[in-house]
Amino acid sequence: MTQPLEGIRVVEVGDGVAVACAGKQFADFGAEVVKVERPGGGEIRRLPPFPDDRPHRDRGGFHLSLDTGKRSLALDLGTPSGREVLGRLAAGAQLALVELAPELAGRVLATVGDAIEAPSTVALSPHGLGGPYAGRRENDLSIFAWTTRMHRHRLEDEPPLRYAPHVVAMQVGLTAAASGIGAVWGQLHDGIRRDAEVAAVEALAGNVDTSFVAWSLSGGAPSVPRRSRGTYPVGTYGCKDGFVQLTAGDSPFFERACRAIGRPEFIDDARFRTKESRPPNHEAFLAVFQPWLDERTRDEVFHSMQAERVLCTPILDVSEALRGAQSVARGSYVTVDQPGVGAMTLAGPPFRLGGVGSEAWRAGPAPRLGEHNGEILDALGYSADEQQALFRAGVTG
Amino acid sequence: MTSRALAGVRVIELCEVWAGPVGGSLLGDLGADVIKVESYPRFSPTRPLDPADWRVAPGEGPAYEHSWAQHQGNRNKRNMAIDLRREEGAAAFRRLLARADVVVDSFSAGTMEKLGFDWERMHADAPRLIRVSLPGWGLFGPYQGYVAFGGGFDCVTGHTAVRGYPWRGVEDTSPITHSDATVPLTLVFAVVTALRERERTGEGMLVDLSQVEELATQIPGILAEWTLNGRLPARVGNTEQHVAPHDCYRAAGDDRWVVLAAEDDAQWGALARAAGHPEWAEDGHPWASVVGRLREREALDRALATYAAGAEPEAIADAVQAEGGLAAPVAGPQEMLLSPQLNARGWFPTVDHPYTGPRIQAGFLWRFAPDAPSWDLPCGLVGEYNRELLREHGYDDREIDRLEADGVIGSSYG
Repeated sequence: MTQPLEGIRVVEVGDGVAVACAGKQFADFGAEVVKVERPGGGEIRRLPPFPDDRPHRDRGGFHLSLDTGKRSLALDLGTPSGREVLGRLAAGAQLALVELAPELAGRVLATVGDAIEAPSTVALSPHGLGGPYAGRRENDLSIFAWTTRMHRHRLEDEPPLRYAPHVVAMQVGLTAAASGIGAVWGQLHDGIRRDAEVAAVEALAGNVDTSFVAWSLSGGAPSVPRRSRGTYPVGTYGCKDGFVQLTAGDSPFFERACRAIGRPEFIDDARFRTKESRPPNHEAFLAVFQPWLDERTRDEVFHSMQAERVLCTPILDVSEALRGAQSVARGSYVTVDQPGVGAMTLAGPPFRLGGVGSEAWRAGPAPRLGEHNGEILDALGYSADEQQALFRAGVTG
Repeated sequence: MTSRALAGVRVIELCEVWAGPVGGSLLGDLGADVIKVESYPRFSPTRPLDPADWRVAPGEGPAYEHSWAQHQGNRNKRNMAIDLRREEGAAAFRRLLARADVVVDSFSAGTMEKLGFDWERMHADAPRLIRVSLPGWGLFGPYQGYVAFGGGFDCVTGHTAVRGYPWRGVEDTSPITHSDATVPLTLVFAVVTALRERERTGEGMLVDLSQVEELATQIPGILAEWTLNGRLPARVGNTEQHVAPHDCYRAAGDDRWVVLAAEDDAQWGALARAAGHPEWAEDGHPWASVVGRLREREALDRALATYAAGAEPEAIADAVQAEGGLAAPVAGPQEMLLSPQLNARGWFPTVDHPYTGPRIQAGFLWRFAPDAPSWDLPCGLVGEYNRELLREHGYDDREIDRLEADGVIGSSYG
């Protein structure tokens, strides 16, 4: 089957998780993505986990997950020779995604911009290409710290806390993919080459799950849910085999939860009928609710609550997520044969074009470092002697 | 005028709360003509009637017009409010669909069908129309029609289980709405990918975007740990198993914190110099090497805690960064508003709105040249563009007056 992004050529430049995530969105939907990486292999190939905990630049979990279906060109962009190759590669492409340290990023973007039939570009960086912090190096943790998320993601008596490792870079990558595909569409239709810039701090701080807008629109007052023990059942509750989360403090969810636990009479019970009468009767509710939970597994609670359309989910670990009935029925996870590693389970399509059984999305194996040097340089018109010269000089690897 | 990359693309957004509406705004930022169709007389959870509701910011007029939760995800679109359960409302909506490229809904699976808009009929009526549906659990499968919210998706993918404090139980993990930030980005990608496919085939299509599956793509490290090594990842909090130091430390000031990390020897050297202890990074010192730092992580943390406690987080970050190291203050909204970087880049726009007055907003997710994104339309009022849009779709004023008088369209709730 022809994939939707076939015919789109993307040059992905850099070694980070964010740019790899961005390139993956294009590659899995059929674009031809060349990953231009440093000859020694950069961050994405050095990040654990590795099979059997043995480091190997072609076997890292992030690399195998995010470089699917790409071709790899190992090229030193710190040299004029490397940039000349890049300029030829970028000619006629639709998009270049660039995540490099600031000074090199500037040179590489200039090279791409000067290419014949130059592509649109997206430059990914922690703070943007300009401004007093443009030269700062950051990582997942420090970017997160700037964006109000860490400030908010904490318990009162504990330090501020990040999300899982590298979740930040993934979101930055998706932001680059969204702006990048917008630029590609635009250029294909109006011929205007666009240069986008995704600064990680801005990409996160400008998105919806921060406290900034609530704070600013409220005139600088801390905006926290006015929830207390008076609003229930809300939050995480233990049951027979783990925990479930539910949000059923407000109408109509409270009423639905009462029906789900077989106590419809609570709906008209004077203790629970109004917002005012509920707070002092939290313990009385729990005295019925908790034993009901204790007798049931997460799955039983989940399905009973959902039968009444209560917002309720089980808390699963990733192995349980894979085995969930919905995941299995939908094929939410796929198996990819990764050379040197074997069958590996990856998350499947982020969306399905054309519904069930669509073949619009496909995750191919991740390339070895420099696996496609020869075929790419051949196609760009470099002779065998020229390729040996580049290799001898350490420009390719 | 905002970017023109998606100029000429018309999108109907039938979404509530955050994931869908934010995606609509991002499409609007890129130049799509986005029409937000709100339900009527039923109102969205982000449009509370009660001025005491915690989501309502100070302002004039009805509470639902100055809820920050509504303002957070609704720029650059034109709002209508239509009762789709009424035949005249459904008829108006069909006219909108006939001239649209894309319709996006975030209902649970089956809701559109109950409203009379099953895909087969939509496709027959408007063969080039693309429908992107974002039900939490997807359009098919045994959980079809189950209800959900952002925090719940986080629970079922495995993220909640690993993002809490290492020393606390999973039950002490704060709920987050991470998917409300990632799904809109994927929605933009899905819309353009579908438009591209339509160019090839000439036909519209149904796109099934399960928010659970979307979020599952965002945690590859957690999945890889299991699938490569059969291990469930541990809760590591602010640390990294293979990087020391890498943590959040209490700084001087009232509940102020700073993050410090050194991913390699060079960054460690920078941190050591900033802390006034260059000897920590000199050959022979037990902390000078990657392995030495891992082995003595606790002693290192104690030393850095002492350093951090001596100054405000911004001063520490400036000093460490000046040496080439890695550090950042844990910023709340106020500290973010004072960021020299965001201010130098003119990132915070001031947006005027009839009911809140001018307010400082969070800026755009990306910059674009030559056609930069701009905030052309602030958060729309209920039914603000009913008349304009119905006229665009062939209704005359008398017909519009009648729809209004009959309560098929509206411009207020409650």
